[in-house]
Amino acid sequence: MIEHIVFYSLSTLVLAAAVCVVTMKNTVHSSLFLGLSLAGVAGLFAALGADFLFAAQIMVYVSGIAVLIIFSVMILGRASDLHLRQVNEQWMAAILICVVSSAGLLKIAGAYRGTLALTVAKPGTHEIGRLFMGDWLLPFELISLVLAAALLGAVFFSRSEASR
Amino acid sequence: MTLAHYMTVAALLFLIGIFGALTRRNIIGILMSIELMFNAANINLAAFDRFLHPEGVAGTTLALFIMTVAAAEVVVGLALLLAIYRNTDTAYVEDYNLLKG
Amino acid sequence: MIEHAYLIPLIPFFASFVMLFGGKEDPHSPMPWVGIGAMGVCLAIAVSIFWAAATGSVALPYEHNWHWFSLATSVAGRSFVYDMPVGVLIDGPAAVTLVVVTLVSLMVQVYSVAYMHGDIRFKRYFAFVSFFTAAMLGLVASSNLLVTFACWELMGLSSYLLIGFWFEREGPCEAQKKAFMTTKLGDSGLYLALLLIFAKVGSFQLSQIYQFFDKGLMPATIATIIGIGILVGAAGKSAQAPLFIWLPDAMEGPTPGSALIHAATMVAAGILLVSKTYFVFLASPTAMESAAWMGLITAFLAASMALVSYDIKRVLAFSTVSQLGFMMCALGVGGFTSGLFHLTTHAFFKALLFLGAGSIIHSVHTNDMRLMGGLSKKMPITFLTMLTAILAISGVPGLSGYYSKDMILANVWNHDHMMFWILLFTALMTAFYMFRLFFLTFWGDDRDHEKFHHAHESPALITGPLVVLAILSAFAGAGLNSNGLVYKLIAKPTLSVMAEPAAAPAHAPAAKEEPSTHEPLAHAAAAEPAAAVSEHAAVHEGGGHGTHPEGHLPGWLHMTAIALVFGSIMLAFFLYRGPAYPVADAIKANMGPLFTLLERRWYFDDFFYGLVALSDKAAALAFWIDANVVDRVFVDGWGLLARIFAQISDAFDNLFVDSAVDGVGGIGNDLGVGLRSLVTAGQVQEYLMYAAIAFSLAATLILTR
Repeated sequence: MIEHIVFYSLSTLVLAAAVCVVTMKNTVHSSLFLGLSLAGVAGLFAALGADFLFAAQIMVYVSGIAVLIIFSVMILGRASDLHLRQVNEQWMAAILICVVSSAGLLKIAGAYRGTLALTVAKPGTHEIGRLFMGDWLLPFELISLVLAAALLGAVFFSRSEASR
Repeated sequence: MTLAHYMTVAALLFLIGIFGALTRRNIIGILMSIELMFNAANINLAAFDRFLHPEGVAGTTLALFIMTVAAAEVVVGLALLLAIYRNTDTAYVEDYNLLKG
Repeated sequence: MIEHAYLIPLIPFFASFVMLFGGKEDPHSPMPWVGIGAMGVCLAIAVSIFWAAATGSVALPYEHNWHWFSLATSVAGRSFVYDMPVGVLIDGPAAVTLVVVTLVSLMVQVYSVAYMHGDIRFKRYFAFVSFFTAAMLGLVASSNLLVTFACWELMGLSSYLLIGFWFEREGPCEAQKKAFMTTKLGDSGLYLALLLIFAKVGSFQLSQIYQFFDKGLMPATIATIIGIGILVGAAGKSAQAPLFIWLPDAMEGPTPGSALIHAATMVAAGILLVSKTYFVFLASPTAMESAAWMGLITAFLAASMALVSYDIKRVLAFSTVSQLGFMMCALGVGGFTSGLFHLTTHAFFKALLFLGAGSIIHSVHTNDMRLMGGLSKKMPITFLTMLTAILAISGVPGLSGYYSKDMILANVWNHDHMMFWILLFTALMTAFYMFRLFFLTFWGDDRDHEKFHHAHESPALITGPLVVLAILSAFAGAGLNSNGLVYKLIAKPTLSVMAEPAAAPAHAPAAKEEPSTHEPLAHAAAAEPAAAVSEHAAVHEGGGHGTHPEGHLPGWLHMTAIALVFGSIMLAFFLYRGPAYPVADAIKANMGPLFTLLERRWYFDDFFYGLVALSDKAAALAFWIDANVVDRVFVDGWGLLARIFAQISDAFDNLFVDSAVDGVGGIGNDLGVGLRSLVTAGQVQEYLMYAAIAFSLAATLILTR
């Protein structure tokens, strides 16, 4: 019972917020709703029993990426932009695509209608750590390289003309 | 809750993300839509991990990887965006048409 | 020795190749002696064969064949195997002729060593002479008609080569072409005859063909056609009317060559061929009669032409044609023995006449008798030997020509009186023009002092052969005639189908055997010499002539003939003895058109040249038609059609095909331009849209499967 309520409310939250993200005229509102949606996704992770993922989602996405986007929007935004259309002219084609694609995707999803969670979720942080340091060591190192590169690239790109 | 529920949620979120990527005029709007798509994938992975492989954490770990890459991507994207904004003074994608012709 | 008869043609053949290819061309080359030695060997073999035949120590005919090749073929479904042998067939006439040919050839070659001395093609001349002699001997000795024909053609080639020996001048070139083509025209008739013989008999072997005729298996019409064909061939080669035109012109060649070929041997080949195939004529009286008339006409025409010639060699050439006419006429009336006997004696004295003429020409450097005269003082040996020959040819009793000519006249008298009178008149003309030649050349005073002054007797190599031939001209006739040797050797063949019981000769005073066996080609019809006059001949006549006592003319006729001969000699003496001959010139002036006719050789030359010109025009017309009509209509017209068709297809190509190709290209172009316009806007979200479309399609198609 609790499960249903939790799931449905969280799902509604996520989807509604996502819809708002892609339809809001005000970009700031859009980004705030993004943060809300991401938080809802974190809640879904928690409902799924992926505790580490839940925590990471909150820390990385909500308080990292969402905040970053809010800052960027603040930098880029202009008061004159607030009442402009934010959706371009190919929205009808996009809706059509989404509808068509949904047919396939939902059909696949429906194939697992009978799959139930058979066991109790257990915390997996240890396991994740073991995987990182064991089987998936190489991807782990590569990811850190990617992060380093991203960091350096960001620094490089965002230098102003005067300091080049 | 069955796997179908979570997959449906993920699918819908993904489609919303696609819609946003195709229609938003603001470049940050596109970036946000892409974030939504990433999250949809993460939901799928976590759900598969829970329902299909309960004793392993491969799905979660992969979701972490995705999360990391997404973060890096946002960072680089925003840096690029700032650079472009400095040059062109507009944040709307339809003005970025130097590939024209 | 007769088993070595096959060597007789082969030795000079090889000698000629040795002389042709060995050694350098040198005006004083010693190579001729190779040929002379070879001919000496052949003469020895031939004499031994003759001696054996004359004394009866060898049985004639002697035949020996070797296998040459075999044909296996199938014609119209029937298979057919033919073995062609090659070999020798020596019968009486062949034995005599072999001696004649080898002897005359030897004399000519010895003579030529001195006569052709210093010529730039000295060595080649002897090679040609040897080659010719080999071909002639091959013809005489061959048992196979095909080999005979091959030798016939080879002789034509040799004659061509020798007539045109000095080919730098125009005259010899024209003469050699004329000779070759005229004889070729005759050869076509001979070829037809050979084909018919082979078709009917199935063999080329003379003995087998004789058997065929002997049994009477040849239909009369075919035999006539064969006979006519052989006569046409003989007319070409032996210079009978109308194909004699080449012989007077053949005098352009070297005189000893003329002596050998155109006097004694090659021109006798036609007569020899008729004698070899005499059974054809026995089977076909029409052919026999044609032969007789052809010979008669030839003899008369040629003698008439000799009357008006002043070129010494030309007179002799016409004389040759005339004497060949005698021989052909003799064969045609059934006088087989007399014809071949005359051939033998004629070979000797005609060769002598030509060699003597060569000696004269060598000495005074001219052929024109009007510039000669009184040469008896300067050239005694030539004078005496030529006198012998001229007496022989005129038929003066005692010399060889008398015996043979008398025999011929007797045969002709027994056949047809009118022919006899014409032939007698011809003999009188012969005596006249030969003594005309003699008196103009040797008698009285010289007409050209310069030439007379330089005249001298010829060297020994020239006069030696003259002497030998003179002895033969004098005594060979009597010798052959003694004891009926000539009848034993040259016995007339008969066909057993035609021998009637009444054909037994019952009247000859001499006892002779009736031939009871039917040996091919030779009967032992030996006649015993009954009287000193050995002109009796018990020779059967074939066909329906019945039998007549042959051998000699009735006494009164005989005496008349001899008297007339002496009369014509006297006439010639009175007309031509002096340096000038006013009476003769007066006669010539009065003869007028008759003279022109004789001088133009009865217009035979003009006739043939006219035929050639006509065929030239016909060929020109044919070419014109081909170039203007056939080429225009068929070739050019076809080309025009092709061009029109090409233009039509070009238009079609341009109109339809090219536009189709351009259309396809245009579609491609428009498609590309259209598709390009999709991505030229530079709007990233548009590109994203395309990706999304692809994604959605993939999603639906794959995921909904």
